[in-house]
Amino acid sequence: MVAMLLALIVPWTAGIVLVALDGRRRWVSWAAVGVLAANLAAVAVTLGLVLADGPIETTTGGWAPGVGITLRADALGLAFALVSSLALLAAMIHETLGHVRERTFPGLVALLAAGLTGLFITGDLFNFYVFFEVAMVASYILATYGGLRTELGAALVFAIVNLLGTFVFLVSVAALYHLTGTLNMLEIAARLAPLDPSAPLLIAVGFFVAFAVKLGIFPFHFWLPTVYTGARPAVAAILGGALANIGSYGILRFGGALLPRELELSATALVVIGSASIVYGAVLAVSRRSAAEMLAYSTIGQVGYVLVAVGIGGPVGFAAAVVYGLVNALNKTLLFLAARMRGTLVGAGFVIGAFSVAGVPPAAGFIGKLEMFRAGIEADSIALVALFFVGGALSIIYAFQLYQLDFWRGHRSGPTSPRAQRALVVALAAIVLGTGIWPEPLLALGRDAAAVLTGGAS
Amino acid sequence: MKLAFALAVAVLFGTGVHQLLQRDLVRVVVGFVLISHSAVLTLLASGLTRGDAPIYPLPKSVSDPLPQAMALTALVIGLAVVALLLTLLLRIARAYRVYGMHELGETEAEREERLREEAAHARAAEREAS
Repeated sequence: MVAMLLALIVPWTAGIVLVALDGRRRWVSWAAVGVLAANLAAVAVTLGLVLADGPIETTTGGWAPGVGITLRADALGLAFALVSSLALLAAMIHETLGHVRERTFPGLVALLAAGLTGLFITGDLFNFYVFFEVAMVASYILATYGGLRTELGAALVFAIVNLLGTFVFLVSVAALYHLTGTLNMLEIAARLAPLDPSAPLLIAVGFFVAFAVKLGIFPFHFWLPTVYTGARPAVAAILGGALANIGSYGILRFGGALLPRELELSATALVVIGSASIVYGAVLAVSRRSAAEMLAYSTIGQVGYVLVAVGIGGPVGFAAAVVYGLVNALNKTLLFLAARMRGTLVGAGFVIGAFSVAGVPPAAGFIGKLEMFRAGIEADSIALVALFFVGGALSIIYAFQLYQLDFWRGHRSGPTSPRAQRALVVALAAIVLGTGIWPEPLLALGRDAAAVLTGGAS
Repeated sequence: MKLAFALAVAVLFGTGVHQLLQRDLVRVVVGFVLISHSAVLTLLASGLTRGDAPIYPLPKSVSDPLPQAMALTALVIGLAVVALLLTLLLRIARAYRVYGMHELGETEAEREERLREEAAHARAAEREAS
């Protein structure tokens, strides 16, 4: 429990202090790196404890259970918290090794870590909204990082669209409270069970829209390419590697644990929307001619897989969604960080990331694709297996194009990136490759996380 | 009472969306303020119970204090977000020297055109080199 609270409190308090300091000084940004590393370590320790002894639960402020806000760390939340912390740490190290341009950057990344960690371990619906806002507000400001016209325009689009999503979420929270009279996530499903599913279905649609906006799933994707191409590499890595996890986690948690019956009712709709997202993202990624745009559209396609897996549901489907979401976050962190770098081994790191997106073994993406195929076979659907195959084939095409455009034709010019930054890219690539070669921990984590959902549903 | 709340929420949300779709950037923020207040009203309406104020010592029947606490929190967050949005507008107005969404779009379109030309030049130069 101490580790869980530390994971939340360390980045929170440190973030408040760091925001007040001048982040362009080297020691401040290194301090932020230290804070994020502490956050990652605390999350990892908590995950270890949870996997050994089951979920950890505590009520804040010494209130009686049922009155105060509960924090509840289980395998599903911590798995996403772990990858988000890793992505934030990598982006922060990347920027520290290069050159931090704005004074608030380190503090905001620390606050974003606090918001994300809180959101992944909270057991209270309204508290989820509060941490959601903490993370989102920090990311709106981070999107302006760099301060040039492109970044500012992208930040405005990002803020407007995501704020709308947030309000839809808030209204859904209010509606759910009205129906159940509780904010405790564990009790909601039980209290909804005797009700007629028509009203909860409407609420489920509200939550789905809120998280789909965050993930950038096909009909809600319109903001994503502008923002991902406009933002600086470190910020794009933060958005794609850490912030997008809110969407995957939200759909899994709210669909799988809070509204399981409604998820079953709308499973077909989820699969259809997810499939549309896969095809749309992949086709547009193939047609693009710049690496940043290609990556942005590929992101739209990749989150479609998560959605389809959630639609399939059951232990296999949920496990596939978790594994695919985590692997995708790792890939995107690596690719966005390496996207504008230059020098030896950057190309190698980038190609590992690109092939991981395409699902070429032994990169981690292969494991994700494998799980998806398993889920497709489990669902007894030839159409889905064919869809995954087509999506995979298209992603190999754009992964190759990406490499060809960027490294063979030499569109990358300018000075070589610092050696330490290149080492970071290589380290991230090694993680992606290592997860692919020894996938057992990741698969076990996916199974445990899925057990949280299916255990709660039955 | 519920009908009154529903009507108020609907009017606020509708006006907010209308403002949000205007070209003027300040109006976009005004739209946000309205939409955020419609969400807060929904929160209040979600726990409408009659009763006395829930202050110790508790009277026999109290009104549900939780939606009020949630509404307060949402209001504070809304305030911070509006301040943030206005700051963002200020920075955009300084960087682009524009005040409307359509002008922002035009500037973006020009930039994309320029990028496309640059890419075409790069390809042409490459072809000559090879």
